[in-house]
Amino acid sequence: MKIMIDAREVMAYPGETILEVCRRENIFIPTLCYHPAFKGQGACRMCMVEIIDSSGQKRLVASCTYPVSDGLKVITSSEKIKKTRKTLAMLIAGRSQASPFAQEIAEEYKVKPLFFKGFENEKCILCRLCINACEEMGSAVLAAVSRGVDKRIETPYAEGAEECIGCKACAEICPTGAIEVKEENGQRIIWHKTFDLIKCANCGKEFATPEQIKFIEDKTGRKMEKFLCEGCRKRQTAEVIKEFSV
Amino acid sequence: MVKAADEGKMLADIREILDNYPPEERYILAVMQDMQKRFNYLPKAGLKTLAFYVGVPLSRVYAMASFYKAFSLTPKGQYVFRVCDGTACHIKGSKILIEQLYKCLGIRPGETTPDGRFSIETVNCLGACALAPVVVVNDRVYAKVIPGDVEKIIREYGGYAHEGKNED
Amino acid sequence: MKEKMKIESSVNKVMVCCGTGCTANGARQVLAAFMDKLRDNPNFEVVPVLKATGCNGWCEKGPIVKIMPQDISYCHVKAEDVDEIIDRTLLKGEPVKRLLYRDPVKKEFVTSIHQTDFYRKQHKIALRNIGEIDPGSIDDYIERGGYKALKKVLKEMTPDEVIEEILKSGLRGRGGGGFPTGLKWQACKNTPRFPKYIICNGDEGDPGAFMDRSVMEGDPHTIIEGMLICAYVLKAERGFIYVRDEYDLAVKYLRQAILDAREHGFLGENILKSDLRFDIELVRGGGAFVCGEETALIKSIEGYPGEPHDKYVFPTEKGLWGQPTVINNVETWANIPVIILDGAEKFASLGTVGSPGTKVFSLVGKVVNTGLVEVPMGITLREIIYDIGGGVPEGRQFKAVQTGGPSGGCIPASHLDLKVDFDTLTREGSMMGSGGIIVMDDTTCMVEVARYYTNFLAGESCGKCTPCREGIRALVEILTRICKGEGELSDLQLLRDISEVMQEASLCALGRTAPNPVLSTLRFFEDEYIAHIVEKRCPAGVCPALTTFYIDPELCTGCTLCKRNCPVDAIKGEAKKKHEIIEDKCIRCGECYRRCRFKAVKVR
Repeated sequence: MKIMIDAREVMAYPGETILEVCRRENIFIPTLCYHPAFKGQGACRMCMVEIIDSSGQKRLVASCTYPVSDGLKVITSSEKIKKTRKTLAMLIAGRSQASPFAQEIAEEYKVKPLFFKGFENEKCILCRLCINACEEMGSAVLAAVSRGVDKRIETPYAEGAEECIGCKACAEICPTGAIEVKEENGQRIIWHKTFDLIKCANCGKEFATPEQIKFIEDKTGRKMEKFLCEGCRKRQTAEVIKEFSV
Repeated sequence: MVKAADEGKMLADIREILDNYPPEERYILAVMQDMQKRFNYLPKAGLKTLAFYVGVPLSRVYAMASFYKAFSLTPKGQYVFRVCDGTACHIKGSKILIEQLYKCLGIRPGETTPDGRFSIETVNCLGACALAPVVVVNDRVYAKVIPGDVEKIIREYGGYAHEGKNED
Repeated sequence: MKEKMKIESSVNKVMVCCGTGCTANGARQVLAAFMDKLRDNPNFEVVPVLKATGCNGWCEKGPIVKIMPQDISYCHVKAEDVDEIIDRTLLKGEPVKRLLYRDPVKKEFVTSIHQTDFYRKQHKIALRNIGEIDPGSIDDYIERGGYKALKKVLKEMTPDEVIEEILKSGLRGRGGGGFPTGLKWQACKNTPRFPKYIICNGDEGDPGAFMDRSVMEGDPHTIIEGMLICAYVLKAERGFIYVRDEYDLAVKYLRQAILDAREHGFLGENILKSDLRFDIELVRGGGAFVCGEETALIKSIEGYPGEPHDKYVFPTEKGLWGQPTVINNVETWANIPVIILDGAEKFASLGTVGSPGTKVFSLVGKVVNTGLVEVPMGITLREIIYDIGGGVPEGRQFKAVQTGGPSGGCIPASHLDLKVDFDTLTREGSMMGSGGIIVMDDTTCMVEVARYYTNFLAGESCGKCTPCREGIRALVEILTRICKGEGELSDLQLLRDISEVMQEASLCALGRTAPNPVLSTLRFFEDEYIAHIVEKRCPAGVCPALTTFYIDPELCTGCTLCKRNCPVDAIKGEAKKKHEIIEDKCIRCGECYRRCRFKAVKVR
């Protein structure tokens, strides 16, 4: 099907969202809670765009969840969209006061954050990408706890969870550095739980937890012969390819 | 500390509640309601067993338990003062009743006295707006409560000698 | 059945209102006393029938006891009064005067509550049976024409004809959205996927509203019948009633009603010997205001936290478990059987063109007659508040009326002649919501009211999307500092800017309407905001930091009323001598201010 984005005609497929089409067409839309690996959540609302319906009325929709339909007309930049994003930036930076990432957003949109009391050490913007990542890993130990203005990301009872394998996929996907990971003396501490770290057989870097290795082995059904960190594994693969191409 | 015998009884109770429902996700809420009624809160063992029974991660069950207002993750007092703070009650002075309760019991909504006898909660609306302001203690409804009544009501439940720490 | 009816109509019926309001005032004890004293009473040839009914709506006057067929109503009945009622009314047929309602203006006793001003302007459709039947008795419901509409659609109407009838009636969703019910059913019917589901939204969470509670606990079968008619249209086999768990009575009677309906063959297989197969499950809600939102309610039934998601695809297409689903509110369902039986024309002849029919409101706050009222749409706010509600009590001045629940708006005295219907209220920056009407007098601070509602929503937002969660947080923070006297004039623009983005960008209706209390009070009561910010004064005497009460010696008569009611003994003075407030001790609760009959207590 064809849809119009900013007066430009582009191809779209049923089941796609506006944001997915825009990403493919290199049309920029800012997002905080979106990651191509997961379904759109519609939580941060930074990706709001305007659509024009059949009667000519404009309205704001979240591009990460709005499904395309034939002949859809989309505007990705307007005064209204700008104002919305500005205010959202002001609120996000006001909440996540300790996060340089959030403060940069405020700077980018040239707004003065409205600093909330009691949030001086807050980094999290509640984008929930960590929850998605953890679920994807199959552990699902993170939850959006409580509701309303008290919403926060936690493990149940704020304790180390049985299922947590210390893979830190949550910390890696977190845009604000809100998830604390401590690595020292051969151990990793994350989400109230301490893990031993395994060294890379090649370079000696501590890179994974035994739980993580076991998880990968269970998933692939293959025993790992040699524990290699990501860098070394890539290098090894490259060597193999080189050998074959000679 | 919960004694081993109590724990055994609790697990049996949890089992009994679960036996009333098929292991499907949609009964999580109903099971939690029953647990809340039985124990006055949702015990950790209850949530863990429920998650296992239904086959969902504990995080999901915990998220629900913390999301819905009907549930409490810590034990509530023997007598729960539910102060209605619906609009009708609010404009008729429920805020002052909460203050008076604080003066008498030394606790705020959501808290329980150290001896485990009293808890205070605010509720949105009990639908008894014509009787505003309303305070419900366990199942008994007190209508058109004025600040001076608060102490009298507490006395009905054995009274409470708060040390007067909050007399400011 | 006919035989039984004949006998009953000649026998006295004692109907004790056992709604939540009357129960709180001791109706159960009254009922027990009647039961005790009527049982095996040798003075009666035929012992009167005793019934516990649902809410009559006039909770202020409860417990209410009605005696039929004489149609005598007693207010504020106590267990001690039962002997006298039995002796004088049931045996001798004369009313007990002191228990009758006394019209405050005409100073006359009124025998039947149906003749009072509170009832006369009402027109009952959704509430037609409430207070007239025992909600625990399916026979009572059937006796008043119950399940006739279901028989009619099964025998005489095709599903399309039913939809046509609902469309013609113009019925709009009573839960607040105001979406035409017929269109919703049609959209769901046109989605060619099965199974389909039907949901009754009984998660009434508005503070200050109890219409749905009253229907669920006073006439549960009408909901079941409404849902059955929809099931016939959609070929749906399963329905769910989602009810607040706090509503003990509603849960009890709905559960009973479902069991009775199954036993009588209204639920289950081959309903009334037709192909219709339908059953209903009761789902107890977890206590979350946001679950009144359709997508959140669906999540809740599925077993998740009640977080809404974007409604770009409607539940009629993708609802419960991804299947086509119709969700209607309790009051909407209660209207369906009447529309089918009496016809769409009759229904549409009531109310306005855009909003036909009646609407149930819960009239509460600073108004003489509080309770439930059902009135034709298009009635003015003034008629509701003054003609039915009897105006503002204690000689206070009317200040504002809040409609539409926590995310509705406050409407000032100058707009009291507004017609109450979906579109007018929305145009004025408020909304119909589910039908709460809260009257406020001059002892209500409008800034504090805005703060109260916004603070309520702060705890009730699901917390998923940024504009709602952080926007509400910002509004509460700004409003709180204004109430504390720490606000600045620039805060007013900030409130407006944040509100605007919340309205446009929030994920669900809760967030989009959350700024209404702020915006409407800013629009109509900006001077109060300015008094707080510039003059550091709360004109209503509510905000403690900005309030000082004093007693005007010119007006004080020394009646001691204030002194006796002061919870902290902050008033000194002897009887018949001028009183004085000890400022250090005063906690600014305003009890004296509200109580003084001579308006001698003043706000500085």
